[in-house]
Amino acid sequence: MQDNTTNIKHNDYPPCKAACPILTDAREYVQLIAERRHEEAFASIRKLNPLPSVCGRICTHPCEAACRRGQVDEPIAIATLKRFACDGSWKDQYRGALPAKPSGHKVAVVGSGPAGMAAAHDLALLGHDVTILEALPILGGMLRVGVPAYRLPKDVLDEEIRAILALGIEAKTGVRLGEDIKLAELFEQGYKAVFLAIGAHKDRKLGIPGEDALAGVVSAVSFLREVNQEQNPKVGDKVAVIGGGNTAVDSARSARRLGANEVHMVYRRTLEEMPAAQQEIEDAVREGVQTSYLTSPLEILGKDGKVTGLKCIKNELGEPDASGRRSPKPVPGSEFSLDVDMVIAAIGQVPDSSFIAEEIEVTDRRKQIIVDGAYTLVTTQPGVFAGGDAVTGPATVVEAISAGKRAAISIDLYLRGEPFPSSESAEAKKPAMLSSSLIDKTRKFPRCGKQGIPINQRLKGFDEVDAVLSEDLATKEALRCLHCYMGAQVDREKCVSCLTCVRVCPLGIPATSKMGEITIDPFACQACGMCALECPVRAIEINLHSRGELAQQVEESAGSNQDGAILGFFDYHGDFGAGDVTSLRENHPSITPLFLFGLRRIDTSHLLTAFECGADGVLLATCRPDADPFPGETDRLKRRVNDARSVLDFLGLDGDRLQVVDMPERGLFDEGQITEVMKTITELGPSPLR
Amino acid sequence: MSLREALASGKFVITAEVAPGKGTEVEHLLEDAAVIKERVDAVNVTDLQSSVMRLGSMAFSHLLTEIGVDPVFQVTCRDRNCLALQSDLLSAWALGIKNVLALTGDHPVLGDHPKARPVFELDSVSLLDVIGKLNSGVDMVGNELKGTPDFLAGAVVNPGADNEAAMDLQIMKMESKIEAGAKFFQTQGVYDLDAFEKFMKRIEGLDTKVLVGIILLKSVGMARFMNKNVSGVFVPEPFVQEIKAAEDKAQASKDIAVRLIKGMKDLCDGVHIMALGWESKIPAILDEVGI
Amino acid sequence: MIIVERKSLEALEEMTKDCGRLLVLGCETCSAMCLAGGRRQVAELASAIRMERKMSQNQDEVIEDAIARQCESEFIDHVKDRVAGCDAVLSLACGAGVQTMAHTFPDVLILPAVDTKFIGSEAERGVWKEMCMACGDCVLGRTAGICPVTRCAKGLLNGACGGASEGKCEVGKERPCAWQEIYHALKRLNMLHYLKEKPQVKNWPVHPGKVVREDLREGEATTGD
Ligand SMILES: Cc1cc2nc3c(=O)[nH]c(=O)nc-3n(C[C@H](O)[C@H](O)[C@H](O)COP(=O)(O)OP(=O)(O)OC[C@H]3O[C@@H](n4cnc5c(N)ncnc54)[C@H](O)[C@@H]3O)c2cc1C
Ligand code: SF4
Ligand code: SF4
Ligand code: SF4
Ligand code: SF4
Repeated sequence: MQDNTTNIKHNDYPPCKAACPILTDAREYVQLIAERRHEEAFASIRKLNPLPSVCGRICTHPCEAACRRGQVDEPIAIATLKRFACDGSWKDQYRGALPAKPSGHKVAVVGSGPAGMAAAHDLALLGHDVTILEALPILGGMLRVGVPAYRLPKDVLDEEIRAILALGIEAKTGVRLGEDIKLAELFEQGYKAVFLAIGAHKDRKLGIPGEDALAGVVSAVSFLREVNQEQNPKVGDKVAVIGGGNTAVDSARSARRLGANEVHMVYRRTLEEMPAAQQEIEDAVREGVQTSYLTSPLEILGKDGKVTGLKCIKNELGEPDASGRRSPKPVPGSEFSLDVDMVIAAIGQVPDSSFIAEEIEVTDRRKQIIVDGAYTLVTTQPGVFAGGDAVTGPATVVEAISAGKRAAISIDLYLRGEPFPSSESAEAKKPAMLSSSLIDKTRKFPRCGKQGIPINQRLKGFDEVDAVLSEDLATKEALRCLHCYMGAQVDREKCVSCLTCVRVCPLGIPATSKMGEITIDPFACQACGMCALECPVRAIEINLHSRGELAQQVEESAGSNQDGAILGFFDYHGDFGAGDVTSLRENHPSITPLFLFGLRRIDTSHLLTAFECGADGVLLATCRPDADPFPGETDRLKRRVNDARSVLDFLGLDGDRLQVVDMPERGLFDEGQITEVMKTITELGPSPLR
Repeated sequence: MSLREALASGKFVITAEVAPGKGTEVEHLLEDAAVIKERVDAVNVTDLQSSVMRLGSMAFSHLLTEIGVDPVFQVTCRDRNCLALQSDLLSAWALGIKNVLALTGDHPVLGDHPKARPVFELDSVSLLDVIGKLNSGVDMVGNELKGTPDFLAGAVVNPGADNEAAMDLQIMKMESKIEAGAKFFQTQGVYDLDAFEKFMKRIEGLDTKVLVGIILLKSVGMARFMNKNVSGVFVPEPFVQEIKAAEDKAQASKDIAVRLIKGMKDLCDGVHIMALGWESKIPAILDEVGI
Repeated sequence: MIIVERKSLEALEEMTKDCGRLLVLGCETCSAMCLAGGRRQVAELASAIRMERKMSQNQDEVIEDAIARQCESEFIDHVKDRVAGCDAVLSLACGAGVQTMAHTFPDVLILPAVDTKFIGSEAERGVWKEMCMACGDCVLGRTAGICPVTRCAKGLLNGACGGASEGKCEVGKERPCAWQEIYHALKRLNMLHYLKEKPQVKNWPVHPGKVVREDLREGEATTGD
């Protein structure tokens, strides 16, 4: 029956996408990796994000925190998969969008961090003439001078910056706005708009005795800047790092690499409250960094103008403050001293807005540039926009990219004299929770996350500590995705309340009302496909392999091969790589492969349609039960296959034209088995229906 | 003495049973009946037993009257609706048949025409009720009869029900049957004296006559078959062994029957012997029991 | 609901082989609910017939459709043009649907694709059980909600026949003795005395039956057609 159903529209983004500040479609690229379509996965990421390899390495991945799989066992390693997609040679095939035709407007972007780079990239694509002004001699902002190479190798950054600049962007380094050129001058020079993305590069003071007087007290930003510019700063033998953010952790880990024997991280709250990524803290500890939680520095001790120790006091946590965090309270009499000869202050940064403060309004205390509404990013000055750490204070790469992208849109509208859209109500939805019974029923698969290099190799230098995932592990990981909001939706007009969906769903998701209305919770559904398949009146549509799409694929594939075709269904959950697919096509041209997330979704009518369209045979290669998220459904598939076989027998076509094989431990198929199957089918001769 | 008189007299009543075959051959059955004619009070004629198509019970009952045997005309509800049943009953009376045993009957799937349409419009209880009506001069819907029968109606009961529900149902049904006019009961074959004694205790006080069923055990195979397939009949293992060990199976069979009858004689009002073709052995058994 | 089961492909082939242009028509209420007559089943059946025709050089087209109920003229109206364009309709509806179709389209051959089995319910997935034979005179009130007319092999009304063994009916070990079930249910409800009432005899209605509701019907009350 003609099945013209198109994909249904779910109103909600998958949690991973919704959590991403630039709305990266993690579900899409994770799925593309699972489909061994890595090049497309890269394209999916790159089309939104000009710094994909950077994000693949150091993004704080709010997507993972939101990932629904995380409620079941552990979230999908989305960021690690991003890195996989970005590290493969396939990315060289990528052809990005070309800039629109020149608008004739000149735009200045001040600061070359992720915010500036993203804005420059998008503005250039929109056809504007972009110039980047950067105070430092090198490009990249904190990515260059903050994040150490063991987490973000410099050549990776270089490559992405090069690709951005290749859009025809001019970058002027060593030019500090406010010092080398005034904001007003930029407009005089013909720039029609300016984006301020100067980051937050000024360390906040500790405000304790000894801070300014003693040699051996450094600010984290300047320390890391030296580290990153390969100036190999001298470090002490015993170092105290004060603070709990990424800057503190990176300082500590860098100090270890530069030869410090003892590194203490001094943080006033507990591990739980630490703003740095947990993974980073764990890595630091593994690399020998010691932690002193619930500890505040009181005084830096010194002798002969040099640091000799750090006097501290223990804290206990009091009542939660306005931010919801419990504030530390010193415990009287708990003072003690750490014996150190270097102190790195990493308690947070503020923008260095002194150069421009006379021209643009900033906040009093934190010196952040004031913008009108987070979305449009307009400042108090017409034509001047600001975003990134300079506006928010120290935040994250992806938030900076998001700011850059939003700024590009605002600037473009401004240049074209169009009104800004009314600010988007970014109403934070409460995350939906899965029921415990659903969690119980969901099959667990271990996460294949970051693959670190051994500790003893790490401390030798600044080589990258994490290795890229192998294709095997990456696909395995990607296959853990639960396909949020790709699942089933009931058309109430068609539904006859037969309850089949209720009875077949392996997760018990379709629910009934007293009057027989069926509801399928789109958040809970995992798109296994059983209900959509079994619904007798076809009232259920599903996005993952929609019925129409599947039927069309079958018709096209079965009808495509003039010399008679064997339609081969393979399960993505098998353990194979993109190369296996290529060699299948080369070595067995008579098999037209179709890949599915679970063969369980193949209906008897699909099988019959294949023969109706002239297929000589149909081969169903089911994945191994241990890899199948719904192994219980294979039996149903086999029953349907038997049913279809009996129809073939009845027609005199011979049921043997329909064959089920198990996918092998490794690869797409077992050569011996395939040969036998092919022989069986070939011996039956060409289909009389061709 | 007719069965009615025998029951009324209070003596220990003896009945036997013959089963017409498939076809019109009746001579040897009549011979069997003749052998026991002097020793029994009545002979039952089965109605297509086990749902196997055979010569009819009414015809053979009538033939028995001709040789001076008082027949018990067995009537099942399997094949006839209420019209046919009433008509057959009137016909039987006209043919000189005075005793009826009202039965529900086996389902046709058990027999040799398994696809036959079962009727069961009436069952044993409602059939007894109908017989009572005919006896009172009206048919089932109250139309008056011209010429009225006066049947002695009986029914069956199975003392060997295999669970409490089945037993309760049996007894409740037995009461309904008495209510509906059953004057005597013939039981399914009994081999277990204790169980039978218990059964008789349970029905103490019911105003009726019970003739205990005795099936002559002809072979080990037959015992095993009944244990497996015949509801409510259970042949205890010692009897099976006794038959197995015996050189003269017929003798062993007779011995068992004698012991059973002796054992139950004082518990009930009579015995119904199902000899299954061994009718000739009945007189010797009765001799040995001394009745 | 009404439970139907598709006839064998062999029987359907025999029935449809010379019938010309064919519409395979689903019925998406009872028939769909027992997974025999929805568009999913239509697709499967039509596909098989098309292949069969192609293999036997039969050029006559086979098309597919489905409506909500084939026993209602309002729904039938939606496919009347499609039906008119065909020589025959293979209906996946129950007997009522097939007959309503035949009545509506006297010039088109309407063929049954399913056997109408009984009124029943799904006992487990893929298993439907007969519960009611629409005898027209419901006795469930006396039998604790278990129908002896349907579920006792002999349809007895006055208690068990005595043929059961181990709680199973004499006709087969896979089917429980309905009367023993009734016994247990009545006992639970403290209503065993129902079994001791005077003998019951079933009233059998005249077929074909008809329900006439004077409060609902329009015009002159008749019992004729
Ligand atoms: C040590 C460290 C580790 C971090 N780790 C992570 C991490 O793992 N994950 C993550 O998401 N985020 C991390 N961050 C935060 C992240 O790097 C920043 O949030 C992000 O770089 C901010 O981007 P931005 O473009 O706003 O500013 P920046 O990247 O700071 O860039 C601002 C640029 O502007 C230039 N500039 C400043 N003033 C002027 C001026 N007057 N004229 C011209 N140019 C000027 C600066 O030199 C700089 O190049 C880390 C930060 C640090 C310091
Ligand atoms: S399970 Fe997949 S789609 Fe769902 S949130 Fe995680 S990555 Fe996104
Ligand atoms: S299977 Fe289809 S028709 Fe049946 S209840 Fe579910 S949605 Fe409705
Ligand atoms: S697609 Fe699968 S998981 Fe989702 S509701 Fe249907 S049967 Fe359940
Ligand atoms: S055994 Fe039970 S269900 Fe079967 S016919 Fe007899 S009374 Fe009815």
